[in-house]
Amino acid sequence: MSTPVAMRRPQGRRPATPRILTNIQSRFGPMRISPLAVALVAVACPLLASAQDESPQVQSIRTDEQIILSQIMTDKRAVYAQAMRLSDGESRAFWPVYDEYEAKVKKIDDRFIQLADGYAAKYSTMTDADAQQILAAKMKLDRERMDLQQAYTKKIARAVPVIKALRYAQVESRIDNELQRKLMQLIPIAP
Amino acid sequence: MTVDIRKAVFTLAACAALGAPYAVKAQSTHDEQQQLIAQIQTDKRAIVLKTLALDDAQIQAFTPIYDNYQVEHKKLFDRAADLLDLYASNYESMSDDVAMKILKDWFSLQDDEVALIRKYAKQFERVLPPTKVIRFVQIENKVDTLLKLKVVANVPLAR
Repeated sequence: MSTPVAMRRPQGRRPATPRILTNIQSRFGPMRISPLAVALVAVACPLLASAQDESPQVQSIRTDEQIILSQIMTDKRAVYAQAMRLSDGESRAFWPVYDEYEAKVKKIDDRFIQLADGYAAKYSTMTDADAQQILAAKMKLDRERMDLQQAYTKKIARAVPVIKALRYAQVESRIDNELQRKLMQLIPIAP
Repeated sequence: MTVDIRKAVFTLAACAALGAPYAVKAQSTHDEQQQLIAQIQTDKRAIVLKTLALDDAQIQAFTPIYDNYQVEHKKLFDRAADLLDLYASNYESMSDDVAMKILKDWFSLQDDEVALIRKYAKQFERVLPPTKVIRFVQIENKVDTLLKLKVVANVPLAR
């Protein structure tokens, strides 16, 4: 299988470490950042230009996660268009359900970004109460995301042949795992 | 830690590579798969203990619970391997019924994975500081994500 667009390593010259990563490092202290994470954020950096001009000293982890999510969400539709091999009739049934799912999952992603931003803000001074609250919220979000994925895969299985719904679930799972891996590179483990 | 993770990931990648081609399940393959799963769990235990940086009292409280967690997690590994078997053996000509069964079993496995980590996080909260419990969940999620990425790299999409 060819590598989906969202998962391809950017080609060309090796990018310099973007300022935004330096800011994350200063926020969390020394941490190892892989070349892939550097490349990924470097690719997304043009999107950041205006934000950096307006507020050069305040770069939150939220911004980095928004970039990654936005980049993956943009590429995701193209990945599905290529991977699903839908007929015209299947396309008409599939895409409205897909778009409905994406609108709902975006709200969960937004809540995750807020949670991660709160985690970053409290990282150096995290109390037991903070840790308990963050863990409970993260597990709740994971559960909601999974419920949504499962519910919409079942909807898709009613709209297109089941084998294509299975294919959809496989692609969704791969993109989700890749997204998690990229976000984990930005978020250090608890102190 | 990095070396341990690489080792664990390599082990699971090998496990996945074993799983992909077999349409007919051989006992030797099953035994090898069990050995590989055992190796993954051993490596993961070492990663978790090293990264959690527990003191002696915390280690004494943590390890019996963690070992119970590993026993339950092993059952999920076995179910995942069975699911992979089912997928591989039906890959060439998969019926709608089999595709639906695979989806249902996969969802059930996902549900049980989330329920298991939630159940043990609650148990760890009784013996460890909450920041250590977050660490445990983060490490488990991280290793799990890396392993899944390695596995799916060896599993083609449904036709």
